[in-house]
Amino acid sequence: MNLKRVPNYLLVALLLLLGGGGGLLFAHLGQTAPRERTITITASKYAYDPPVLEVNRGDRIRIRLVATDVTHGFYLEGYDLDAKVRPENDTFWMRRPSEGHETEYKEVQEISFIANRTGKFRYRCSITCGYMHPFMQGELIVHPNYLYSASVGFSLALAVAMLAVFRRSTPGGRP
Amino acid sequence: MATATQTQQGFVPVEALEKPWRFDLFRRWPWLKRLVRMRSFQYFLLLPNLFMFYLFLIAGLFGTPVGSSNIIIMYVWILWWFVLIAVMMPFGSRIWCTMCPLPFFGDWLQRGAVIKVRSGKSPGTNNKFFGLHKRWPKKLSNIWLQNFGFLLLATFSALLVTRPIVSVIVFGIMIVVATGLALIYRLRTFCNYVCPISGFLSLYAMTATLELRSTDKDECLKCTTKSCIRGSEDGWACPWNVYMGKLDRNNYCGLCFECVKSCPNDNISLFVRPFATSDIVIRGYDEVWKASIMLVLAFSYSVVLLGPYGQLKDWANISEVGNWGGFGLYAAGQALLALVVFPGLYYLSIRLAKWYAKIDNVSTKELFLRYAYMLVPMGLLAWIAFSVPLIMVNGSYIISVTSDPLGWGMDLFGTAHFPWTPFWPEWVPFIQVPILLAGFYYGVRGIHKVGRQLFSDPVQLHRSLVPPTALLLGVTLVFMKLFIG
Repeated sequence: MNLKRVPNYLLVALLLLLGGGGGLLFAHLGQTAPRERTITITASKYAYDPPVLEVNRGDRIRIRLVATDVTHGFYLEGYDLDAKVRPENDTFWMRRPSEGHETEYKEVQEISFIANRTGKFRYRCSITCGYMHPFMQGELIVHPNYLYSASVGFSLALAVAMLAVFRRSTPGGRP
Repeated sequence: MATATQTQQGFVPVEALEKPWRFDLFRRWPWLKRLVRMRSFQYFLLLPNLFMFYLFLIAGLFGTPVGSSNIIIMYVWILWWFVLIAVMMPFGSRIWCTMCPLPFFGDWLQRGAVIKVRSGKSPGTNNKFFGLHKRWPKKLSNIWLQNFGFLLLATFSALLVTRPIVSVIVFGIMIVVATGLALIYRLRTFCNYVCPISGFLSLYAMTATLELRSTDKDECLKCTTKSCIRGSEDGWACPWNVYMGKLDRNNYCGLCFECVKSCPNDNISLFVRPFATSDIVIRGYDEVWKASIMLVLAFSYSVVLLGPYGQLKDWANISEVGNWGGFGLYAAGQALLALVVFPGLYYLSIRLAKWYAKIDNVSTKELFLRYAYMLVPMGLLAWIAFSVPLIMVNGSYIISVTSDPLGWGMDLFGTAHFPWTPFWPEWVPFIQVPILLAGFYYGVRGIHKVGRQLFSDPVQLHRSLVPPTALLLGVTLVFMKLFIG
């Protein structure tokens, strides 16, 4: 097949498909078997410790929440979880945001869920805790991070595709 | 066919650039022209804005110090910021400047009028101005002051966007400086050379899909009155000191529309044009550094404010934590990155481009200035990507503070108790990715267009694009790592 005869749009589509698909495949091949993880997250103004949780798809995650200074929230996006934790309490309170704001918080000793959605999700403070409260957040990264890998592959492919098209479309520029 | 149109000075006359399509809004909608030509037009936009702005200042002074419960923080730093960066900039150019409340008192005192025009003779104009009407020093006639001003403000951003009183102080200082400068210097000196917000508006207005231009440049050259810049009995001298016959970029046109009113030849119109395609000429180092500062600040905010690292937040949050050593490290690191490291990396990419493409007919300086355009769409779209989670996650505070603007327990519209509700936060990454990719695409496409003007040899052109494209790709991937990785 003579590459020179491949129209630009087809070349671009192929490269982008290759880049995005390659990224997805790379992420998929890197996944590991699920396991159980028990994590204690400490909330204090204006961060969580650990700040980043990296888990694998299918992992059973058990989270214990501790607050060291004032009452903090723990809103985990993508997993329909919201909790509030007070200092010097062994238990904390949890609810499902999808059930509406009128839903009562239930007292629990741990949050347990299966990490079945992949990607990066933030857990944020949902109880006003001070000046920097809107920026208090941590990150849950569930591998394989398909969106990230595909986006990286797609970006690389876009760079190559643009340079290739510029090369081909510039008069006298065809190799 | 692309041809090299390099002049002896190395700069391409803007007229020589290939012009994309543009759509004349005044011809299509004559009512819009009639509206814009009304003397009171600008004030229809400005006065309500001014009223709201002063209410926000009052709320900042007397309301709760908790930012998320005070209207000044939520309306200015969440709502206004998002609308400015994601809507006004890309689609309306400097339309914010049309209605900006900061220079209002300065304009009023300088003109001795709010709406009407005074004919007369103040130096260089056909209008009567009050005040000393001095010339701004030539050495400062650039955006360096705005660059450093914005960087300084950004260093205190953790306080600015969370403490109502800090916002009041900063805006208060800006109003006083704008008014003072209007009494000493001619026209909108504050907006042109001092306002830190104006600096980045000028840069990102280059990408906008809206432009105010003369319909026929030849008509301008024949015009003897030059009323657009000097003013007339129908319109004030251009506050931005812009002559429409030479206006070829959005950067320094504040869309006050005085020229539309004063042009005796009805030769000025408002055009719609494609995004990030027309104004692709960076003219000075001040603009390159502005692009670098903005890009680095988008990165820095994404790490410090939207990142998970408490230590960085503590360093930035100086007034509460009081860690001056950490704050110094944070401030110095941010400044070093914006003023030295990133411009250095960009310079390196230009040197590599020169070496790889064997360029000897275009100077390093010229290539450095011209290819810096790629940082403009990338920077704007990185800022938009940064701002998406701000509005989607914290936008619900806007609903509650609307009913309780001072955080005093009022409930004006029955929404004061609307709970904090992030709007589809898990979808934010899916919105950020295409925005970043668009920034990369428009950046690379922009320098390809610039390169076509600089190089007649297609191989040289192509090779010259590779190192800057690699740098921009690196920038894109860094933002992707921060947002979704």
